[in-house]
Amino acid sequence: MSAPTSLDRLEPGRKADVVGVDGPGDMAVRLLEMGFVPGTRVELVKVAPLGDPLELRVRGYHLSLRRAEAAYVQVTLQ
Amino acid sequence: MSETSAPSTLRVAVAGNPNVGKTSLFNVLTGSRHRVGNYSGVTVQRLEGEVVGKLAGEGPPIRLVDLPGIYSLSPTSEDEVVAFDVLTAKDAPDAVLLVLDASNLARNLYLALQVLELGLPLVVALNMVDMAREAGLPVQPQRLAKELGVPVVPTVARTGEGVQALVDALRALDRAESHAPVLVPPGPDDTALQRALEGLHPSLLPAEARTALLARRAGKGVPGAAGTFLASLPESDVRAAAQQLVCARYRRVDEILEVLGHRERVRDDAPAMAPSQRIDAVLTHRVAGLAIFIAVMAFIFVSIFSWADPIMGLIEDAFGWLSGLVSDALGPGLLTELVTEGVIAGVGNVVVFVPQIALLFLFLGLLEDSGYLARAAFLLDRLMARMGLHGRAFIPLLSGYACAIPAILGTRTISTTRDRLVTILMIPFMSCSARLPIYTLVIGALFVSTEPVISRGVDQGLVLLSMYLLSTVSALAMGFLYKRTILVSPTPPLVLELPPYRLPRVRDTLLMVYDRVKDFLRGAATVIMACTVVLWALLSFPAERTGAGQGGATMVAQSYGGRMARTLEPALQPIGQDWRVGVGIIGSFAAREVLVSTLGLVYGMETDEDDPVQLRQALREQKDPDTGRPQHTPLSGFALMVFFVYACMCMSTLAVVRRETGGWKWPAFMFVSMTGLAYVMALLVFQGGRALGLG
Repeated sequence: MSAPTSLDRLEPGRKADVVGVDGPGDMAVRLLEMGFVPGTRVELVKVAPLGDPLELRVRGYHLSLRRAEAAYVQVTLQ
Repeated sequence: MSETSAPSTLRVAVAGNPNVGKTSLFNVLTGSRHRVGNYSGVTVQRLEGEVVGKLAGEGPPIRLVDLPGIYSLSPTSEDEVVAFDVLTAKDAPDAVLLVLDASNLARNLYLALQVLELGLPLVVALNMVDMAREAGLPVQPQRLAKELGVPVVPTVARTGEGVQALVDALRALDRAESHAPVLVPPGPDDTALQRALEGLHPSLLPAEARTALLARRAGKGVPGAAGTFLASLPESDVRAAAQQLVCARYRRVDEILEVLGHRERVRDDAPAMAPSQRIDAVLTHRVAGLAIFIAVMAFIFVSIFSWADPIMGLIEDAFGWLSGLVSDALGPGLLTELVTEGVIAGVGNVVVFVPQIALLFLFLGLLEDSGYLARAAFLLDRLMARMGLHGRAFIPLLSGYACAIPAILGTRTISTTRDRLVTILMIPFMSCSARLPIYTLVIGALFVSTEPVISRGVDQGLVLLSMYLLSTVSALAMGFLYKRTILVSPTPPLVLELPPYRLPRVRDTLLMVYDRVKDFLRGAATVIMACTVVLWALLSFPAERTGAGQGGATMVAQSYGGRMARTLEPALQPIGQDWRVGVGIIGSFAAREVLVSTLGLVYGMETDEDDPVQLRQALREQKDPDTGRPQHTPLSGFALMVFFVYACMCMSTLAVVRRETGGWKWPAFMFVSMTGLAYVMALLVFQGGRALGLG
């Protein structure tokens, strides 16, 4: 376990555990429902060629979020 | 299939996440025969079909309604609202067929729990069990059935495995038996959720209470007493309750996964994605990924233009032959002209675009079903986001190259209204296939210099390419402008699944292509045909009929259409056009390609010939009556093409935009702004070109 950070700050290949989710409007509900519930393991798989968005692995599938969206997911590094 | 269903008909809604093989399963069950419609009020496509043949067996007919692919029933997108409304309507379906991806239950089961909350009779198709086994995942339909309390049938839609068992399971459902909603209870520590649900339950069904909670969290209004109650709660309580609800459901998913023997590793890693990840090492690679993307798009473009051409030629020949046949049979006269120059020519004008549209949708379908289209959005999202749009907006924009109509319909995947509007306003700038005949006619007629810069073919190709570049740059620029002026809104979230790569089921893709082509023919045929007939009349009356081929020019000049165009000529001269082209532009209000048939009509009456080769020659040889110099030059041709890059000359587009935006405001704005811009740009090109001594 280490200091809390947000999902957008992960290095490719790093794994982390979700601590909480925030965000305006639909964002928080949507992120939660796509599987970013507290306690879930997340891995940053890849950064898109143009630097954004991110490819993440969560709950057995791959999902792409922009850095700005990933910033709403608080995680602790593994 | 009849509109009304006998009371004994079993009506089944097919639900599931995107990319789980739902459409394949639907096609297998219905024998690929279905009706395409829309859900009322929105433009989400609705597929309906009946289980047919040996599959159906004994018993009442089973009618399937394919719901849009959704990750959740919480109303955060139009698709989710549609699905939720269908499932909770007063005349809710008799049963739900829920398709789950056996290789990704960790996410798929979330939707399953939400559907169970509705209390409808439910059968689960545990699809893609072959993929799951290949990925080394445990497949346990019986255990899953026991956990969910509903029948679970393992299936492989691709091969039809398990489909008969699925029908049997649907037939075995007892409709009379009331199915109690299966609710995931709040955890002991979920006090915010407990309190919120207690307050909501008196006025709402359990599933509605839960949806209302997430809808409120999503910033949507909730009507009635429930809304009043929710509004009285502090925002932080609602947030906590919503979060606790989603977490409680996922806790239950994890319990089920444990019973099924999915170890922790399986849930956190993505074994079904392992092969795809190796492919992505290349396809979304920093350099190779972008290079391959450009190559794929280039391949699609070249194929559409080179493969469609011979088929289009055959279609033109066939309609020409038919015209000749009718002409010979009926003999000369007004009726013959109406049939050959109005009706047959009109039908031909519609059918000739089928090859291009079919090819584009074939490619788009294959890319989508294989999983590559999601990668394309992943690769390009940065660019789209810079304009304030979703990476997904790229797909409808790209479809705009074929036809704005399906492209505009395709914008429904964009969840925010303003961004949808921006995309809808951008799409008509993309050079659709209806502009191609204009470009090819003008290029073929006027860009035929005997001293080509490189070679005639390459020169012509480059001119064509410049039109496509201009339209693309203009669409992006206009999107950028709209997003910052009249439709200001934050960039919509991406949240895009990158599904495993799969071999597309060609049968499904071809069926989709067939649907789109049928849609186009139905949507475009009446407008284009009617317009061709009206135009024929406009250009034929009032005039003294002097017999075939005699005095045609005078006749057209005297006709209503000719008089209108002559009145407009002072406005057309500054952009390098004469009244004949003016007649074509008037005609192209119905659809851009009508320009070609109208010019054919205008010149055809003089030459009594309806051959495009002759039309090109006629354009080339047309002399300015005052100066005696060629009326149409490469510069005036270029100005005309630029005009058509921008002008919104398509009644069908405007009609679809009206339907999508619910009024005439946006189509009116679109038409006026685009046509105004078209005139200004054509003016800049023609006058600028002349000033530079190019024309």
